Amino acid sequence: MKATFLRLPTTLIAMLALAACGSSGGDSARQYGANPYLPAPHQYLLPPMSVPEAVGWKARERPSVSAGLKVEALASGFEHPRTLYALPNGDILVVESNSPGTEAFRPKDFIAGKIKARAGAAEKGGNRITLLREAGGDGKPALRTIFIDHLYSPYGIVLVGDTLYVANTDAILAFKYVPGMTQITEPGVKLTDLPAGPIDHHWTKSMTASADGSKLYVGVGSNSNITENGIDVEAGRAAIYEVDRVTGAKRIYATGTRNPTGLAFEPKTQQLFAVVNERDEIGPDLVPDYLTSIREGGFYGWPYSYWGDHVDVRVHPQRPDLVAQATKPDYALSSHVAPLSLLFTEGQHLSPDFTGGAFISEHGSWDRSPLNGYQVIFLSFVDGRPVGKPIPVVTGFLGADNETVRGRPVGLALDGNGALLVADDVGNTVWRVSATRPGS
Amino acid sequence: MSAQHPSSPVSSDPRQYEHMRGPTAHRTGLVLIHRDFILAGAVLLIAAFATDCFYYTTALWQWSNFSAWLITAGLIVTLVAVILLIIDFVMRRASRLNIGSFILVIAAALLSLLNAFVHSRDAWTSVVPQGILLSALSTILLLIAGARGWSLARSRATGDHS
Repeated sequence: MKATFLRLPTTLIAMLALAACGSSGGDSARQYGANPYLPAPHQYLLPPMSVPEAVGWKARERPSVSAGLKVEALASGFEHPRTLYALPNGDILVVESNSPGTEAFRPKDFIAGKIKARAGAAEKGGNRITLLREAGGDGKPALRTIFIDHLYSPYGIVLVGDTLYVANTDAILAFKYVPGMTQITEPGVKLTDLPAGPIDHHWTKSMTASADGSKLYVGVGSNSNITENGIDVEAGRAAIYEVDRVTGAKRIYATGTRNPTGLAFEPKTQQLFAVVNERDEIGPDLVPDYLTSIREGGFYGWPYSYWGDHVDVRVHPQRPDLVAQATKPDYALSSHVAPLSLLFTEGQHLSPDFTGGAFISEHGSWDRSPLNGYQVIFLSFVDGRPVGKPIPVVTGFLGADNETVRGRPVGLALDGNGALLVADDVGNTVWRVSATRPGS
Repeated sequence: MSAQHPSSPVSSDPRQYEHMRGPTAHRTGLVLIHRDFILAGAVLLIAAFATDCFYYTTALWQWSNFSAWLITAGLIVTLVAVILLIIDFVMRRASRLNIGSFILVIAAALLSLLNAFVHSRDAWTSVVPQGILLSALSTILLLIAGARGWSLARSRATGDHS
């Protein structure tokens, strides 16, 4: 009895001390590039949540942009705008969407859901695509129509020939598209099913097409943070699929990508790249989200390991055989920034700083202090590989106090005039970033 | 209550609670209302140790999910029991705190509160090793409290534990 009583306070103090340390993240710049700083993982008592309150944009407020650029609202009043897509005729599609809703399994899920809702994550999505037609040059769109309605948590979108593919959370739909169309009322034809419910934890289905248009590539996120909903529900998840555009036949192209939220082909090498959201709750500086080339048959670690062979002890049973095969990603973007959109450019866009590389939107952290992300960055590419440090392009989504969030960047697109469009799913706005000097 | 004369509190006469007595109440005096809730809370918290053991051997996530809910429910019922314990004292049904059992149950509750946070982690480390260790410790403490009769106070009528 006496031994037990002595042990109790000791255990309590030890565990509380464990919970208290390592709660604040270090300099994000240590985690950019091919060899990020990786501290030892922590186990928490309180889930490490740090969520700014969503307040939206007041009149005349707008994000900040780097020198030589200006920003204005192209359109607002959307219902949770996520993906943007530029059609060949210059029309812009805005995919308005959010999670179909997940069940709370554990006491924790109720509480975590309430806290994330503070940052606007629980807002209802429009389940539709809005079309914007810009007037020549700057200014408000000349035309705004509901292009496709009654979708089911859509996210990925790509036009191949005269067919527009939309990735709902549970299936790819094909729509006949004629240039200049402002509305599609005919229901889409299902090309193939995608892994969805009953949990559908990471619901977004990012999508792109190969240059020849024969294949579609679809990112499917994991059904949990780190297998806490069981390993069975992860079958076919945390993977990138290749879908034959004609037959709809699909196969798993790469695995171990926890939540591949943006897919795009690098224009010079035609190499598939993905931005991937890595795991949470083992530290403010773990695990860095990343940008990586996706090799056929590649395994990128989730759930068993991260950044190559760093084992995650939360997964049981462990799989040393798979950890040994895990590929290190190409480029770390630092931890919990939540990259959602990947947009390659060819040649110079907006300014000489942005020549040949990729814009990446960082939706922003919910479990890191200080907050990380909440910006659009540019990353240079040389010979088809990311190099150097990220350049912040669009910032100021957080309030000056860093306690409130005015907007969160999601979808990216380049419009017909070379301006960068940014969808903001808290401000429910599409921002247009252009050069202050035309032609520069 | 306010109409009562201060010198004759409502709980002073054991006969007033005749209808609330269990089968053994006649022999031992008043049944304290908190006791069954201590027992019920302990059953839930001890069951969490069982489901933690099943998770440890099977690694099936649903067992750890059960544990998280059992610990949460056990803590809520134990909190109700403590409120009822206070009521037992306020109503002058209980005479004196049973210090040993009280410390055992409070220690088990504090460990279980800590365990609720441990169980809020994701996957294996929500249970192994700290979660299942805390479940085992609180199970031992609660079983000792059970051997002592579950009641955290002595009944005013006879001085017995129940």
